[in-house]
Amino acid sequence: MQTFFSIGVDALAYGMILFVISIGLSVTMGLMRVVNLAHGAFAMIGGYIASYAARDLGLAYGVAVILAVAGTIIIAVPLERFLYRRIYGAPELTQVLMTIGITFCVIGIANYVFGPTLKTIPLPSELQGPVDIGFRTIAAHKLFAISCGIGVAFALWYLIERTSFGVKLRASVDNTAMAAALGVRTKIVYAASFALAVGLAAFGGVIGAELLPVEPYYALRYMVTFLVVVSVGGAGSIPGALIACLLLGAIDTTGRYLVPEYGEFFFYLAVIAIVWVFPRGLMGRAK
Amino acid sequence: MKKLILAAAAFLMTASAYADVIKVGVIGPFSGPFAIQGKNFKAGIDAYLATHGNKVGENTIEILYRDVPQPDPAQSKALAQELVVKEGVQYLTGFYFTPDAMAVTPLLEQGNVPMVIMNAATSAIVTKSPLVVRTSFTTWQTSAPMAKTARERGVEKAITVVSDYGPGVDAENAFKTTFEKEGGTVVESIRMPLSTNDFSPIMQRVRDSGAQAVFAFLPSGPTTLGFVKAYNENGLKQAGIQFLAPGDLTQESDLPAIGDAGVGILTTFHYSIAHDSPENKAFVAAAQKAIGNPAELSFPSVSAYDGMFVITKMIEATGGKQDAQKAVDAVKDLAWESPRGPVSIDPETRHITQNIYLREVAKGDDGGYYNKEIKTFEKQPDPGLAAAK
Amino acid sequence: MTISNTSATPIRPLAGVGNNWLRDLAGIAIILAAAVAGYFLFPNNLALLTRMIAIMLFVLSLDLVTGYCGVATLGHAALFGSGAYAAGIAAAHFGITEPLTMVAIGALGGAIAGLVSGVVILRGHGLAQLVLSIAIIHLFHEAANKASAYTGGSDGLAGISPEPILGLFAFDLWGRTAYVFGIILLVVIFFLLRILVRSPFGMLCRGIRQDPVRVSAMGASVKSTLLKMYVISGLVAGVGGGFNAVSTQVVGLDSLSFTNSAEALVMLVLGGTGTLYGALIGTIVFIGVEDLVSAANPFHWLTIVGALLIAVVLFAPKGLYGTAAAIIERYRKDGR
Repeated sequence: MQTFFSIGVDALAYGMILFVISIGLSVTMGLMRVVNLAHGAFAMIGGYIASYAARDLGLAYGVAVILAVAGTIIIAVPLERFLYRRIYGAPELTQVLMTIGITFCVIGIANYVFGPTLKTIPLPSELQGPVDIGFRTIAAHKLFAISCGIGVAFALWYLIERTSFGVKLRASVDNTAMAAALGVRTKIVYAASFALAVGLAAFGGVIGAELLPVEPYYALRYMVTFLVVVSVGGAGSIPGALIACLLLGAIDTTGRYLVPEYGEFFFYLAVIAIVWVFPRGLMGRAK
Repeated sequence: MKKLILAAAAFLMTASAYADVIKVGVIGPFSGPFAIQGKNFKAGIDAYLATHGNKVGENTIEILYRDVPQPDPAQSKALAQELVVKEGVQYLTGFYFTPDAMAVTPLLEQGNVPMVIMNAATSAIVTKSPLVVRTSFTTWQTSAPMAKTARERGVEKAITVVSDYGPGVDAENAFKTTFEKEGGTVVESIRMPLSTNDFSPIMQRVRDSGAQAVFAFLPSGPTTLGFVKAYNENGLKQAGIQFLAPGDLTQESDLPAIGDAGVGILTTFHYSIAHDSPENKAFVAAAQKAIGNPAELSFPSVSAYDGMFVITKMIEATGGKQDAQKAVDAVKDLAWESPRGPVSIDPETRHITQNIYLREVAKGDDGGYYNKEIKTFEKQPDPGLAAAK
Repeated sequence: MTISNTSATPIRPLAGVGNNWLRDLAGIAIILAAAVAGYFLFPNNLALLTRMIAIMLFVLSLDLVTGYCGVATLGHAALFGSGAYAAGIAAAHFGITEPLTMVAIGALGGAIAGLVSGVVILRGHGLAQLVLSIAIIHLFHEAANKASAYTGGSDGLAGISPEPILGLFAFDLWGRTAYVFGIILLVVIFFLLRILVRSPFGMLCRGIRQDPVRVSAMGASVKSTLLKMYVISGLVAGVGGGFNAVSTQVVGLDSLSFTNSAEALVMLVLGGTGTLYGALIGTIVFIGVEDLVSAANPFHWLTIVGALLIAVVLFAPKGLYGTAAAIIERYRKDGR
């Protein structure tokens, strides 16, 4: 029984970290209809900025997180203006080509500027070390990541479903021409949502850095994981992404505990099974 | 057809006999996820050339680098072929990954080119061609002493946790065989997929197994960091379960990231940058200068440095003429003082015989972390080939 | 993620049939001319050119399902890798070292893998389909890793030594035999594929890509048609894989990797989908540029390749071949 709970906690933590990192991708893929394979690259940029701020400049963790999110958005804005704007509404494969190109460039530049070593983001003392939660200990930063995940999920849901920005965003995506005719400044809305997605990526990159350490190849190494999580959930659905992360986190963690040797089989067979039952993702909308 | 090839080969040989530029082709991961290891190849080579010059007698050494970012035997072979045929290299070296080296061995005889392996650590490579010489280590060579250490320290029951791929399986076998021969019991052997990111469930299993020590092997890089952190955060350290591993896990370039979490980990390996000898001090100074950022220096650099030493010996012996067999014969039984300690090339296996050191991750006076050598296993051959028979 | 009208050549009316034949012959003549030019211009790069041929076959097979049927897949290396391993295992463990037989076994292995992947991948739609393809390639990869007794696992499958072709032409260090063998395979397969994509079956596939609902309303079975194409694609990819095993005499886990699948897709989109010519051009340009820049600067070449991809999207959005064809078409019309 204790093992059961213990695995449950690990699964929850892993799932939530996945959620924080990949939810931004769900926004670009589901709402903006851009297959953004450079999502990991933005998460990595965030991680590098935070690492530089906290480790080399000695700034506080909170400041580093804010700087990472802001800095990544600043880097992403010209990319949106000059590159992404060209591929909105383009065939998916063209988007894949462009975003893979961006990813390659970012990897190359990161390798050149920061070198190939692992970069850490020093945690404040409160987040270091294990916390006793009754039946076992868990790393404090994992608890922090779980709460961040819950916070992000709620805030995002509120933003998209309950605010006027959310209405405009959904309108622009569903029918750009009509939304524009009704007075929505669609270009601004797209740019803002892109900034939001990139900001979330950076935030996730920093929060998840304890599990997925920052190094130049980060951008490609975890891309598959993000893509799988978002697609299983159904792109664009916040609850879908959340459920998918928790479910896949649980499957992965249990698999690695029960049959570590066949962990990979366990995980991907489960993915196939889920998609078999839900061919459009857990909460995917039929197009 | 055959005649034509022979004629062309003969032409190449005579042509190179008069050439005073001797080309050395280096194949390694210079970009991609293992870029740091390729960078260390280059640092070792540059350090050698900076301290010894690029002249051997009349001949000048020229280095050509070719990138194979991830294990890709077909590409490795195509590049080796191109280096030999088009660029006319007389020596092939580098090779971080075993499959990349394996793929090239069939070319050596035809191309009349010796291969000096600067990393690839599977025992069997040297058996694939008589023209292979290795200056790095094998996973068996570095892992077996760990099992002896564990027994000496009173560990009765151990668990092995390795990444599920060739070198991981090698490490598992090496530890298990030696540990059981010394009278210990391996209670469980876990192999985890290379793609594992979250190690908490694995740590849970280690704890459940009731072992006194965990022997781990993962490829150097980001996963190592996650593994060591999970070991600490899941309370295994407090529970007194000793962490044992070959030195790949605590390579110097990963240590700053691992930080305090790594202190106290015991590893066995052929080289620590902190090795105390004048040869090593000179080498580290040159290599740090070559690599630019001293924090990036790691173990492949020393094999690359020694690899260059072996290649210059080969060039000396052949006078710059392309004669692979003569070159390899010349370095059999070669013994010298490497930055890592005394080493020699075993004439039978053409693999390097060297000291293996037991090290502990420690914090230095300057606040940095290093692998502190605490015991020496002298003149260790490669036990892996014998075990395979 | 069904791909709509990526860079489709419009379905030609039947009147143009003779014209099409001429075009294909011209295309094949160009391939042969390029092959001869490659042989004499780059006599010392034949290993690279040979690798290109194997990848071309692979990318052609991907074009069949992606360009003609609109199935987006990031798991197509499962077909290529299975072909390579089938041929490699036959040679290394069962002593079947006759090159043509090895390639045939590779084709068979690829076809079986195509059937399996097809059954799974065609179940999903859109993104789900992409995820199924990712799952498939990881399962194949892991299976090959586990079956190390046969595949050599992560150390790679070595010890493949093919006999001389027809007992006459031995594989040499310069890679001449392998190159000529590859060119012959490529031309034959390319010719057959051109016939295939213009056949009624090929037309049906294009129809499915444009509007699956209408095709099924016409009474054709969408799924079984696509599955057939998947098996054919597997045959082609398997020939590529088998040829790769013959020419490099080694098979590694990378041939069954996600990276390999993704790279093939990049090459296809780079050249242009749904034309077969685009597949060839994309492969030549991608591998050529990669080889050139990575030899020039092995440490930072990735940035340049990335910039190239971005530039292609910006300036040649239909892929290199698609855009070039469009420009020529426009020029012709203006000229009239």
